[in-house]
Amino acid sequence: MTDFDGCPGSKMQDFRKKDGKEGEITGKIKSQLRQWPIQMQLISPTAPYYECADVLLTADCVAYTMGGFHPDFLKGKSIGIACPKLDDGQESGLYEEKIKSWIEDAKINTLTVMIMQVPCCMGLVSLVQQILQKSSRKIPVKSIIVSLEGEILQEEWIST
Amino acid sequence: MEEYLNKGIKEVIKNYSEVGIILDEHKIGCTTCGVGTCLLKDIVEIHNLPSEEERDLLAKITKVIYPGSDIKIPEVKRKESHSRKIKYSPPIKKLVDEHLLIKRWIALIPQVIENLNLDSPHGRQLIYDGIDFIRTFADKYHHAKEEDILFKYFDENLDIIKVIREDHENARAHVSMILEAIDNKDRKTIIKHLIDYQKLLTEHIKKEDEILYPWMERNLSIAQIGDLFSKFNIAVKEFKSTPQRSREFIERVEREYNIKEVIK
Repeated sequence: MTDFDGCPGSKMQDFRKKDGKEGEITGKIKSQLRQWPIQMQLISPTAPYYECADVLLTADCVAYTMGGFHPDFLKGKSIGIACPKLDDGQESGLYEEKIKSWIEDAKINTLTVMIMQVPCCMGLVSLVQQILQKSSRKIPVKSIIVSLEGEILQEEWIST
Repeated sequence: MEEYLNKGIKEVIKNYSEVGIILDEHKIGCTTCGVGTCLLKDIVEIHNLPSEEERDLLAKITKVIYPGSDIKIPEVKRKESHSRKIKYSPPIKKLVDEHLLIKRWIALIPQVIENLNLDSPHGRQLIYDGIDFIRTFADKYHHAKEEDILFKYFDENLDIIKVIREDHENARAHVSMILEAIDNKDRKTIIKHLIDYQKLLTEHIKKEDEILYPWMERNLSIAQIGDLFSKFNIAVKEFKSTPQRSREFIERVEREYNIKEVIK
């Protein structure tokens, strides 16, 4: 395996356990997803499942890193997923338009933004913060930063 | 030990006074609480001490209650919290921010007492205005949001909520006594109840900011936080000019006594 410096978002890292113990999985975990589609590029922000909902806006990688993503974070929420690095939604203004519509048209109750610890993810939180500052309707927004190995590094409310 | 975890703290301290000293050492102020019906286990859970400190606290208490015995230190169940640093959610932060204005009024009370002049219309009016601030801002605007909205998300029979409600009632009683005393030009009574109010509210705000609100935050779901935020916004609209008028009153008195705003 070769390691290389450069972008922390694409730096190679090996998390395999040296002792072969990868963590036991007991019982079948039920999906908490209650809608389709989920990609920000595809969703309609005024779909019925967003109306007055608690919404989770998450970077694509988050669900893969966290073992308990469905029961701990997705349960009871509607979702939109995006990759601020690879999608062009942020540059084209599509994300901004849809997040704004969640807040102002769908009148969502809360927004939780989950991102990875890598720098390329941070833009998603900044974008939400900017939209919120401009919006006449305020809602509680929480940001959660997840480590590459699925631990919560930071959980805080975004000030409006 | 389980037996004592399920006992009211006043009873525990009554039987084992050293427990009060131990709680004081960990900055848990049960010894000064006038109610003292909170269960020991709830006190441990509510204060959300770091796990090592919590074990240390329980070990010391166990040693006092069962000296010389090898009793297993119980674990008090609590909701997982990622950080002990207090960072309030938006609706709770509104309440904490309102406390700042109330603290500015509390800080003015010594000057109000020092300059108390019941013979001049201006002197009497200042006390009436102060009472108006307490009644409209601290009580109707602030305490009502707690009693009519926030507390409804919890079991109102919980001791911690009973203690807070009792503080509100005591504050109202002090205000009534001050009003009655103004009419009678009873300077001594006014001063007594202003001082009592100051002491009560100082402790009360600390209790809410550092214990009650963080505990409530840990027990509210994100959906409830959103719901609370909306309900607070509706309540705030109903009061229209109250916050602005209250702020202007505090600023006016601060100017009058040449006090710079120190509470942020």
